[in-house]
Amino acid sequence: MHIFRFSRKTLGIPYALFLLLFVVSPLIVLFYYAFTNGEGQFTIANFTGFFTDPNTMGTLCYSFAIALVTTLVCLLIAYPVAYILAKSHLKKKSVLVMLFIMPMWINFSLRITALKEILTLIEGNLAYYPFLNAVCGMTYDFLPFMILPLYNTISKLDDSLIEAAKDLGANDRAAFFKITLPLSVPGIVSGVSMVFLPAMTNYVVLDMLYNSTYIMGSLIGSYFAAYNWHGGSMIALILLAIICAFTLLRRGMEDDDQTIGGALL
Amino acid sequence: MRKNIFVKLCAAVLICLMITSLIPAQDVWAAADDKEKIVLRVCNWEEYIDLGDWDEEETIDLESGDIIGENSLVEDFEEWYYETYGKEVVVEYSTFGTNEDLYNMITLGDVYDIVCPSEYMFMKLMAEDKLVPLSDDFFDEADENNYYVNGVSPYIRNVFDNHQIGGEPWSKYAAGYMWGITGIVYNPEVVSKEEAATWRILDNPKFKRQVTIKDNVRDSYFAAVGALKRDLLISDDFKSAPDYSVRLESEMNDVSEETIQKVQDYLQDVKDNVYSFETDSGKSDMVTGKVVANYQWSGDAVYSLDQAEEDDFILNFAVPEESTNIYFDGWVMLKCGVEGDPDKQHAAEAFINFCSRPDNAIRNMYYIGYTSVIAGGDDERIFEYADWCYGAEEDEEDVVEYPLGYFFSGDAEDEDYYITAPAEQLDRQLGAQYPSADAMARSSIMVYFDNEKNDAINQMWINVRCFNIYDVPVWAWVLTVCVLCVLGWLFFRAKQREKMYK
Repeated sequence: MHIFRFSRKTLGIPYALFLLLFVVSPLIVLFYYAFTNGEGQFTIANFTGFFTDPNTMGTLCYSFAIALVTTLVCLLIAYPVAYILAKSHLKKKSVLVMLFIMPMWINFSLRITALKEILTLIEGNLAYYPFLNAVCGMTYDFLPFMILPLYNTISKLDDSLIEAAKDLGANDRAAFFKITLPLSVPGIVSGVSMVFLPAMTNYVVLDMLYNSTYIMGSLIGSYFAAYNWHGGSMIALILLAIICAFTLLRRGMEDDDQTIGGALL
Repeated sequence: MRKNIFVKLCAAVLICLMITSLIPAQDVWAAADDKEKIVLRVCNWEEYIDLGDWDEEETIDLESGDIIGENSLVEDFEEWYYETYGKEVVVEYSTFGTNEDLYNMITLGDVYDIVCPSEYMFMKLMAEDKLVPLSDDFFDEADENNYYVNGVSPYIRNVFDNHQIGGEPWSKYAAGYMWGITGIVYNPEVVSKEEAATWRILDNPKFKRQVTIKDNVRDSYFAAVGALKRDLLISDDFKSAPDYSVRLESEMNDVSEETIQKVQDYLQDVKDNVYSFETDSGKSDMVTGKVVANYQWSGDAVYSLDQAEEDDFILNFAVPEESTNIYFDGWVMLKCGVEGDPDKQHAAEAFINFCSRPDNAIRNMYYIGYTSVIAGGDDERIFEYADWCYGAEEDEEDVVEYPLGYFFSGDAEDEDYYITAPAEQLDRQLGAQYPSADAMARSSIMVYFDNEKNDAINQMWINVRCFNIYDVPVWAWVLTVCVLCVLGWLFFRAKQREKMYK
C-alpha cells in the first residue's frame, strides 16, 4: 500500500468529481429518458417523433432563424468595434474594452427589463414586433461574447504581414480582405459559436420581451410541464448533438485555417 | 502508480456516494435526533402563507381584538402544537411553483407529508391513489381545536362533499385552504365594464395587442371555451334551466375532439391579438399602461388592485358573464410521507386546523391577498375582517348592501352577513375577494382530465405556441437554398485555392 502523496494530479480530483456528478450522471439520465417510453421500454419513437412533428421542426427553424439573425447582427456590430479597438493607439484601450464588457456585470434580467422600456419608447407597442424584439434582446445580451474573441484575435495579428502586403502593392482594402479578415477567422468562429448556440435556447429573453412563440428552450419546458419527460429529453439530446456537430465543424475549420494561413505565408 | 491512486480514490468516493444514496437521508439524521420530535414536511405554493414580521401600523384592529403577524405562521404552529398537544414538531417548509412541478417532484421521489395543490391536481393524486384520507377525528365537531371542520364555509364544504373522484368525495382526502375565481382586471378609463366582463375581450380587435392572457394551458382552455360557447352560455333558456349548474359544468369541461380543435383555432387568433401570454408581468404592465386588461386569478387581482392603488392607479375587476372558473387549493396528505405514522398524521391535520383558525386565516388573507375557505363558523372575526377591509365609512353616500350569506352561513339572504360597502368596491377588491352571489352562480370548476384527454389538450397548446414548419414562407426556403449554394461555392473555391498554393 502506497502512502498517499500529494501530486499535481490530485488537484484534478475535485473537478473529476464535479464532472461525474454534474455532467456525466445527468447525461446518463438524459439518455435513459430520451430512449425510453412511459413504460420504461426502449424506443426510438421520440427520435423519429422529433423529425416528423411539424411543431418541433418549425420551432427548430424559428430558433435557427433567431439565432442566425442575432449572430449576423452581433458580427456586424462587433467586428468594426473590435477592429477599431485593436488597431487604435489609444493609451487607455483597456478602459474602452471594459466599457463594452461592463454590461455583462449587470444582472441579466435587469438589463432586459430596461431594454423592454427602451424598446417600448421606440416601438410604441412591443407586441407587434416579436421577432425584432427577440433579436434585439439577444444581441444586447450576447454582444460582449462576440467582441471579446474578435478583439483578442485581431490585436494579436502581426502588423508586419500588412506592411508586407502594402510593400507588395496592396491597397488598404485589399490588405484588409486578403490578410486581416482571413486571419481573424478563428476569432469569428469562436465568437459565432459563443453567440449562436445560446441564442437558440435562451427563451427567457423571449418571455420577457413578450414573444409568445416557443423556441427550443421553452419547447423543452412545455414538454416537461406536460409530464412528457421522454420527448423533452430527446429534444435536449438533439440540441446537444447539434452543438457537438458545430464544435466538430469549428475544429475542422480551424485546422483548415492553419493550412490556409501557412499557404499565405 | 499515481493513476492507480486516483482511480482508487474515485472509486471510493463513488462507493460512498452510492451507499449514502441508498439510505434515506432523514433516517440517519432522525436517529441522531431526539426520537420524540415529529418532523412534518410541508410543501406549499410560493408566497402562500404569512411569514410574519409585520409593521405595527399593519395591525388589523377588529372589534374583537387586534391581529398581527409577528412570527411566521409556521413557527407559531410549532409553538401552538407543543402547547396544545405536548409534543414537539419541526416543520420542514418548502415551496413549489406550479402544480405540474409539484407532481414531477413527487413522482421523482421527493417525500412530503402534506402539500397544497389546486383542485385538479389533488383530483389527479386521488385518482392515482397517492393520498391518505383525513381521519375521523379531523371531522369531530366537538373538538374545539378542529378549526377546519368548525369554521369552513358551508359553500366550500358543499363543493368538497359533492364533487367526486372514483366514487369518493374530495372532502375525504382534501381540506380547503384558499379559493377564488378567474376574471379580468381592467383599466376603467379605457375599457368599459361590458367590454371587460366577457372572455371575448381576448380577441376583441378594439384592444389589439393590449390584453394579456395567462401562460397556462388550463386557464387558457377555460377562457377559450367560455368565449366560444358565449351565445349558449348567456342565453336565457340555458340560464333558467333547472339543472343549470350541472350543465354549465359539463359545457365548460367539454374536451371533445371537436371542441379542442375549435379552442386551438380560437387561441391561435388570440395569440395574434393579445399582448402576451404572461406569468407575472401583468400588474406592472397595467400600471405602466402597456396593457389595459389582463386575465387574472381573483387572489392576484386583489393584490394587483392594492398595488396599483398605492401608485394612485385605479383598476377594476370583472367576472366574465359566460362563466368563471372557481378554483381551490387544498391540503392533502401524501401516502409516501404520512402512511403508517399516526403521530405525523395528527401533526399534519393539526397543521390544517391551525391554518384554519380564524385569526390565522385572516393573517394569511392579509398577507397573500387570496380568500380563505374559512368563514369562521361561530367565530365572527372573518366577517369582521371583510367588513374592516371593505365596509363603507359612516359618512359615505354611494353605498350598497352586499350580501355574503352564501359564503358565511349558507343562506344567501341571511341579513347578518350584509356588508355595507362603497358602490365602487363591487368592481374592485371586494368583488374579487368575495365574489357576488351572482358571479358564483355562473362559476364552474374545471375537473382533471384523464391522461388521453390531457395529452390532447397539451398537444393543442404546443400547436398554438409553436411555429409550424408548414408556415415557413416560400421565400424563406428559396433564400435558405440560395445562401447554402453560395456558401458551398465559397467553400469549394477556398479548397481549390488551397490546392493551387500547395
